[in-house]
Amino acid sequence: MQELDTVIELSRTQFAATALYHYLFVPLTLGLSVLLATMETIYVITGRDIYRQMTHFWSKLFAINFALGVATGLTMEFEFGTNWSTYSHFVGDIFGAPLAIEGLMAFFLESTFVGLMLFGWGKLSRGKHLLVTYMVALGSNLSALWILVANGYMQNPVGSVFNPDTMRMELTSLPDLIFSPEAQAKFVHTSIAGYVTAAIFVVGISAFYLLRRRHIELAKRSFRVAALFGVFATVGVISLGDALGFINGSAQPTKLAAMEGLWETAEAPAGFNLIAWPNQEEKRNDFELQVPYLLTPLVTHTFDESIPGVSDLEVDAEAKIRDGIPALTALKALRENPDDAEARATFDAHQDNLGYALLVQRYVEDVSQATDAQIAKAAADTIPPVAPVFWSFRVMVVAAFLMMAFLILAVIYSLRGTLHRHNGFLRLAPWMIPVPFIANEAGWIVAELGRQPWTVYGQLPTWLSASTHSVGYMIFSLVGFVLLYTLFIVIEMFLMVKFIRLGPSEDRRESPVEPTQRHSSQWSEA
Amino acid sequence: MKHVLIFLFWLLVAVVAIALTIVLGERGAWYFAWVLGTVMIVLIAAAGTAIIDARYDEHQDDQY
Amino acid sequence: MDPYILLKVTWWVLLGVLLIGLAVMVGMDMGVGAALRYLGRTDGERRAVINMIAPHWDGNQVWFILGGGAVFAAWPTIYATAFSGLYVVMLVLLWSMIVRPLGFEYRSKLPSDRWRGAWDWMLFVSGAVPMIVFGAAMGNMLQGVPFHFTWNMISYYTGSFITLFNPFAVLCGVMSLALALYQGGTMVMNRGTGVIRERACRLVTVAGLTALAVFSICGIWVSMMHGYEITAGGDPAGPALPLNKTVETASGAWLANYVAHPALWLVPAAVYLAVLGGIAAARAGLSHLAWWLGALAWAATLVTLGAAMFPFLMPSSSEPSHSLTVWDASSSLGTLGWMLAFTLVFIPIIAIYTSWAFWVMRGKVTPESIAHDEHAY
Repeated sequence: MQELDTVIELSRTQFAATALYHYLFVPLTLGLSVLLATMETIYVITGRDIYRQMTHFWSKLFAINFALGVATGLTMEFEFGTNWSTYSHFVGDIFGAPLAIEGLMAFFLESTFVGLMLFGWGKLSRGKHLLVTYMVALGSNLSALWILVANGYMQNPVGSVFNPDTMRMELTSLPDLIFSPEAQAKFVHTSIAGYVTAAIFVVGISAFYLLRRRHIELAKRSFRVAALFGVFATVGVISLGDALGFINGSAQPTKLAAMEGLWETAEAPAGFNLIAWPNQEEKRNDFELQVPYLLTPLVTHTFDESIPGVSDLEVDAEAKIRDGIPALTALKALRENPDDAEARATFDAHQDNLGYALLVQRYVEDVSQATDAQIAKAAADTIPPVAPVFWSFRVMVVAAFLMMAFLILAVIYSLRGTLHRHNGFLRLAPWMIPVPFIANEAGWIVAELGRQPWTVYGQLPTWLSASTHSVGYMIFSLVGFVLLYTLFIVIEMFLMVKFIRLGPSEDRRESPVEPTQRHSSQWSEA
Repeated sequence: MKHVLIFLFWLLVAVVAIALTIVLGERGAWYFAWVLGTVMIVLIAAAGTAIIDARYDEHQDDQY
Repeated sequence: MDPYILLKVTWWVLLGVLLIGLAVMVGMDMGVGAALRYLGRTDGERRAVINMIAPHWDGNQVWFILGGGAVFAAWPTIYATAFSGLYVVMLVLLWSMIVRPLGFEYRSKLPSDRWRGAWDWMLFVSGAVPMIVFGAAMGNMLQGVPFHFTWNMISYYTGSFITLFNPFAVLCGVMSLALALYQGGTMVMNRGTGVIRERACRLVTVAGLTALAVFSICGIWVSMMHGYEITAGGDPAGPALPLNKTVETASGAWLANYVAHPALWLVPAAVYLAVLGGIAAARAGLSHLAWWLGALAWAATLVTLGAAMFPFLMPSSSEPSHSLTVWDASSSLGTLGWMLAFTLVFIPIIAIYTSWAFWVMRGKVTPESIAHDEHAY
């Protein structure tokens, strides 16, 4: 048991590490591809060369980022199999489908056209090149769509049923899976979060140039387009975040309770915990600062519904565990004799809560012998770690409002043409670049840590999901991934900063084969 | 004749778009919102930036 | 015929198509990467070689990613069991492969010789190692892998990773690398000129002949090794649970399908004809024909393998009755059906725009032409 726990924890750490690394690069790809298409649209419509230079410059930074997104994404496609083999078997019939469709519909589109976008400038007409850029934007966002359809299934498993003859979940309705509200809201939230990330990235770097009076024509236009692009996107990202919270309220009440630090059920009108210090041991907040009345309308979109807290959710979980135990016992009997009609009837009657019985299996192999203490322990497990979810959520929300305020100011200054009078703002702007990245990572933590202890909510516990590797293998692979990825990030940041400092230049050749062509005066620091 | 064919092609595109919109609006309201929202964001950002060039001649100095 | 059986067989064929696509398209770029230091001696030549595949390597690589996704969707038990069982091998594969995008993208970003030299070695490693692993994985499938399941389908791998690199598997890896070098060589001949093209032609000849020699040795080895056969159970229309059958091993059992259907011998024969014809075509300057014959050789090689193993996909050497077969490792009827629909719609679309991309970027790439191209790597 000890070794199993260690392997699970190491597998989780490795998945979180690789996913968080991957997710550093993905949002920028999602947003910058659309922003590049926007810039190029202006070029094609107005025909002004400055917009071609602009598209060209930002696509260079796009490519540096894109390469790492692809590299870190490669491993993700296989990591479910390498490290979560029981999970992969258990839900592969459903979860694999969106991943395969992602390859067919999105990756081919994105990757084929990204080559044309970067290398096809001289070989395609303006209109065709613009179309190619839009295809890259569409492809990258479609890939987000399908991976979030898959993730939506983990959060709220719809369109599937457990088949005792194959010992796994099987697909009953692909449309239900694709159009699940969880998947929809998640996709839009994530995609638009990418728009915001790209907008802040472009605004920040453009401000850096404006402050130094370099590349002014290009920078002020980039600033304008990104600020406008971003300000609408932040509004969208915040409203979709609210929609996701609302959907979670019914689909994943345990995540919601953790996000809001609700230990007891909150009768309307409940106060919103602005700041709290959750204490999981004693199931209370050691300290809390509340905004009265705010929580109920925020979460339920009504003024009179109550929101279940941890203690009531644990009581619910205990009932589900007790209900699920006969299903697991019957399933075992069915494996020994598939024609056992009585066992099948028992299984059918209790199968909804099979997953809850698997939770208690962690503490006792034969679940029919589970003691009250073991069941209570399993019920307590259904609550995710409250403090990290609570705080990640707040980091994300604060970051979102900060970015919205920043972008509103950016739009105002840019539209009024008064940016040059606000050096303080221009100086601040590059420091805003990390904020969307922090928000993205925090959002991932809220979504995935808040889903614990499940890999598939209510169906498959995390402790049962991982591959049966030895601790040694897991340490080896975890260390390998961390070292390799850290090295990658160092190289990427180095190149990114180098090319940002170098800046755009019409005459500068990428190739150092002809260093003499550089007009050093044009891009040396003033 | 060529113009008629072009017209018919775009008519077909419009009909397909409407059909897709109805299906997507029904089952995938958020997906639909994403499509509309993205198009809107792109167009507003593009138009708002192109204005800079409309005013270009009045602002030859380095104001921005 | 039972639609479930039909879909299982269809997806077995599609798995083959996928592996062929992966081997040809990814293998080509891997071959170019692995031979980069041979094909280009100066930095200008190497940049020319890299830029021949620069617009396409990313699209081609999707064959590999799609391989993961499609196996997950259509053969989830294979996805779960093979990738976790071959854990260290998979890590070697993935770690070497993820260096490749960076190698292409970052290599020419800085002028330093040491920087570029280091990335050239990275491209060599990330070209050669994955192809060896790919072949070795196929070899291991032929030999069987030590794994078994518990009653609730948790899989346990009981071998060490060293056994995955046994002599037969390594030989299969060499075969795979040789075919990749051949394919990469023909690609460079297509788009290269002068001395680069001459070197590529020599590479095609040597790699092709090596592949044939190794293929022959592997063939003899397979005819003598222990193959697997289902002796009881294994209902083709049955549920996808690999626990309800009896499997035995017998020397030469992998030839049973060939004995039953002698026409299958045409497939391995096609490997010889394609490679020899391809070498002749390359030497006659018909590099496009040589490329297509190389693709045919890859296809025939993988069909040879599939025909020998059918209906087995991943035999278990430690618990043969838990072997994964076409009949009991697939996903459900509904998922196979949906996935087939998506495949039928999207594969033609992909084929169209991929061809268009190759057509747009057609033409020769020379050290001189990229020296003046600000969009080149």
